[in-house]
Amino acid sequence: MGVIVKKVEMTWLDRTYVWPVLKGMAITFDHFIRNLFTSTAKRYTVQYPDMKREIPDGYRGLHELKRFENGAIKCVACFMCQEACPARCISIEAEEFSDLNLTQGLQEKRPAKFSIDMLRCICCGMCEEACPKDAIWLRKDYELAAYDRLSMQYGKWNLMNTYAEADGKEQISQDPTPSVPRRTIAL
Amino acid sequence: MDKLASLLHTTPAITWMVGKVLIVFLSVFLLASVWTWVERRGSAMIQDRIGPNRAKLFGRWPILGLSQLLADGIKFFFKEDLVPTEANKGLFWLAPFLAFVPALMGFAIIPFGKSFVCDGQTYHLSVLDPGNGMGLLYPLAIGGLAVYGVLVAAWSSNNKWSILGGMRASATMVSYEIGISMAVVAIFMVTGGYDPAEVIKAQGHQPWTWYVVRQPLGFLVFFTCMFAETNRLPFDFAEGESEIVAGFNTEYGSMKFSLLALAEYSHLMTASALIATLYFGGWQVPFMADPPVMLSVASFLVKMLFFAWVFVWIRWTLPRFRYDQLMHMGWKVMLPMSMVNLVFHAWRMSQGH
Repeated sequence: MGVIVKKVEMTWLDRTYVWPVLKGMAITFDHFIRNLFTSTAKRYTVQYPDMKREIPDGYRGLHELKRFENGAIKCVACFMCQEACPARCISIEAEEFSDLNLTQGLQEKRPAKFSIDMLRCICCGMCEEACPKDAIWLRKDYELAAYDRLSMQYGKWNLMNTYAEADGKEQISQDPTPSVPRRTIAL
Repeated sequence: MDKLASLLHTTPAITWMVGKVLIVFLSVFLLASVWTWVERRGSAMIQDRIGPNRAKLFGRWPILGLSQLLADGIKFFFKEDLVPTEANKGLFWLAPFLAFVPALMGFAIIPFGKSFVCDGQTYHLSVLDPGNGMGLLYPLAIGGLAVYGVLVAAWSSNNKWSILGGMRASATMVSYEIGISMAVVAIFMVTGGYDPAEVIKAQGHQPWTWYVVRQPLGFLVFFTCMFAETNRLPFDFAEGESEIVAGFNTEYGSMKFSLLALAEYSHLMTASALIATLYFGGWQVPFMADPPVMLSVASFLVKMLFFAWVFVWIRWTLPRFRYDQLMHMGWKVMLPMSMVNLVFHAWRMSQGH
């Protein structure tokens, strides 16, 4: 299939080369003057550590484990997120406890340990999709760097407290109800 | 002047001479290094960027990115000074100076202000006094020497990219030099002499009697050829990121590289001073027949810095030429145009204008 390329007809003024150069110089001078009278903070460049872009809604950054009003974790340790995770970065250890939660009914299972390996995490949001309790959210924190590998392992309390300050919640370090020792049925 | 001379145990003439040399070359050197900053900030503004603004003097004052100059200078001084094992060591060391010295030397002839009389003695504001017999032939000859800096740098580093860059640059300079000479010859002819003082005097103080109005074609040729002569865009064939890495200075690092870069900017300063002198009336102040000395110096500086800025401005406006286009332009456009200019003015003079 042939495409007809339109040849640009050049006027004699364009052929002198001098006039187009002057036009080009006018364009660059326009940019120069406009930037000369704009403060650096208002130019296109975001000077990163000093200035930060506004993060759009739906951004997938560092996870948060959501909690109830009383500080109890919403997660019920169903392992759906661990299954859904394509990078296999979530590992959960479940424990039993008993609590009559008025909004969610009787809770009896929660994660004793919930860790995300942020070195492996690709922030795809599949865990958020998979969660039946809406207990894990990917939020807007993206500055995830550390000096060693160990501090990139985010534990249960790290994940629960990540956005506590931003949301005006308290930092918590223990569950409101104690865990119940594993019932063993004597045969 | 006399007191200073007696303090230094010399004659006033020698003190004045040494003072002039120091002032002129140091200020050109300083302007050249400041112009690297102008280039970077100016290009940033033209391209809607910000440019260097992170380096801070004593960790506190960024002074619009000027402290980047100091940081760069310090960095260049303390970098390892590598010389390739296969390089021609002597020439490799000599090349930056060969590039730098002619770039500065061309400035010696240019009068940067009106001559003045003090205590019955005339002081000329140019390193070489008028009437020295060399006149404006001198910067042209020195400009021819500038080819050696690039070519020696390229050849001595024994690198194919360098040699290619050097060859292209020297071919460019040599072919465009003819255009320059032809354009300048037309000026000499109209002036009736080739001393810069005479050229400036012949142009007068009215802007419409300057040679840019009288010889627009000659100005166009001279101006364009100066870009090729200083090896700057759109004719920067000594370098070529996509083709020959960094061109003639591929093997250069640390202070030697810095000196090559400074040579380019000093060359730019000399070129813009030449343009101001030849076509824009040098130190003449528009509409002032007999300006004060300081005003004439300021007028010259304004003109020179304006053209230095145009060099930067053009660089960030135009794309580069291809090498064959460059040669085509040099030999088939610039040379005939300067010849037409020469013949036209010769004809006009024969008609008694």
